[in-house]
Amino acid sequence: MNKRRQVNTSTDSRTSTDSRTSKELNPPMDTDERPLAGLATTPVSRRRLLVGGTVAAGVALVAAACGDDDKSSTTDTTADGTTATTAAGASGDLTVAEVAAGLEVLAVQTYEAALAAAQGNKLGTVPPAVATYVTTALAHHKEHRDFWNKVLKGAGKPEVTAPNSKLKPTVDAEFAKVKDAAGAAKLALTLEDIAAQTYLKAIPTLKGKDAVRKAAEIQVVDQQHQSILLYALGEYPVPVTFQKTDKAAF
Amino acid sequence: MTNIDDRAFKQLIAESQDLHVDAMRGINETIPVLEEIREERRGQEIDTDEIDRFNRNRRAMLQKMGYGAGGLAGRGLLAGSFGTILTGLMATPARADKTLDVQILQTASSLEKLAIETYNTAASQNLGGVAKVPGTAGQVIVKFVTETVKQHDEHKKGFQAQTTALGGKPQDTPNPKFAAEVTKAVPGFKQLVDVVDFAAVLEKVATDTYLVNLTQLEDMKSKELMASVMGVEAQHLASLRAVSALLKGGAPELIKIPIGADLAKLPAAAGSVAFPNAFEQVGPVAEPETGAVK
Repeated sequence: MNKRRQVNTSTDSRTSTDSRTSKELNPPMDTDERPLAGLATTPVSRRRLLVGGTVAAGVALVAAACGDDDKSSTTDTTADGTTATTAAGASGDLTVAEVAAGLEVLAVQTYEAALAAAQGNKLGTVPPAVATYVTTALAHHKEHRDFWNKVLKGAGKPEVTAPNSKLKPTVDAEFAKVKDAAGAAKLALTLEDIAAQTYLKAIPTLKGKDAVRKAAEIQVVDQQHQSILLYALGEYPVPVTFQKTDKAAF
Repeated sequence: MTNIDDRAFKQLIAESQDLHVDAMRGINETIPVLEEIREERRGQEIDTDEIDRFNRNRRAMLQKMGYGAGGLAGRGLLAGSFGTILTGLMATPARADKTLDVQILQTASSLEKLAIETYNTAASQNLGGVAKVPGTAGQVIVKFVTETVKQHDEHKKGFQAQTTALGGKPQDTPNPKFAAEVTKAVPGFKQLVDVVDFAAVLEKVATDTYLVNLTQLEDMKSKELMASVMGVEAQHLASLRAVSALLKGGAPELIKIPIGADLAKLPAAAGSVAFPNAFEQVGPVAEPETGAVK
């Protein structure tokens, strides 16, 4: 890398973060992190002028979901004429969205089954903290599921309503063995581990910045679910120094 | 036929030539760089994220030289052959530059260093009176601090190694932006919960910084490392939130591993306090330049 290039790139980083520096401890909300903001205010973006129909599909796809409240940006994306399946990045991000939605459906169904079992007195006495955990995690996974389905729907794909077919039989078999709250927590821990690892594995491959961000936001929450489950099960809540991906769903 | 004011006309021509000379001076500096970029990327697949980054570079470069697009257009210079060359070159995406990635990794190292120093400082002050905490909670918290320092040290080493792999200088000093916050906070560590709450702030800054970084990094290995570490910091944060809630709730005796039968005694809120939102809500972050090696 030559000197001139370094200088230019340095300028890049300063330019992209100056606005944040001025805000000190406020979260960064520049347009780089909110592509929709740029799209919404720029009917024909420079990017579009340059690359035409090869707009990063992940951005467009997830933007469609994120931008539900921003009609102009959604319209803008649609007006671009870019179809999600024409770009490599798009199909890759869509595949992740489908896998993620399938996992979230599985998590929702499993937590719902656990909740029903607890309410039916099939798990013995359920500690209040565990009951709160189940309802909280259930609500989170519903939101995650709905988010990915919104992405898929925005891209013209069908929503995923069926659980991950690869994992479903195993989870069902394990759930049949659950007799108490601890057993349910162990199964939940396995699901959270798979989900977090799947997002971790997917993030570096995603093309759309919004897709990356949302996957990361979900990964963080799933890892935190794990910590509380580990604590409830009597284990150390931060068991590894680097998160792994060997249990990822793809 | 309209009479031409020769004097005014010559003056306009002179001004135009001056503008042209000025413009070409900047372009003579710009074109070789752009040509180099074009050659490096010839035949490669277009990556729109790279184009975003390249556009930011280009805009900053032009603005720095006083030749923003508006200025050039206003002077009519983009309409000529130069405009064609420049437009063509600028339409070609840049090769992935690594400088921003290096800055991000250096800043991540600086956050890890800061976390290590903060935990160690708090430990040297007995963690705000951890010995006074009843039951085994004190031991659990001391172990947590010891393990967390080890993990942050491993994270720092990982980020430093990756910085080196990308050709940068590894960072080994605390992040100055948040070091200032630590300096302000340490005198206020009067009790254990003060330490716990401040540690949670630092873990959230790290978590959220890495989360935002994932949208900016280009290097695949760096992304993998960042996402992996982010997950661990998120768990530190969750643990600290739970501990803080138990301390504030007057139930420090429930801070125990394994918790065993006392699980039933945990307040209901313990099942949700560690993750207040379905999606991580990003708060203050350390911008890439804040921890970059100068």
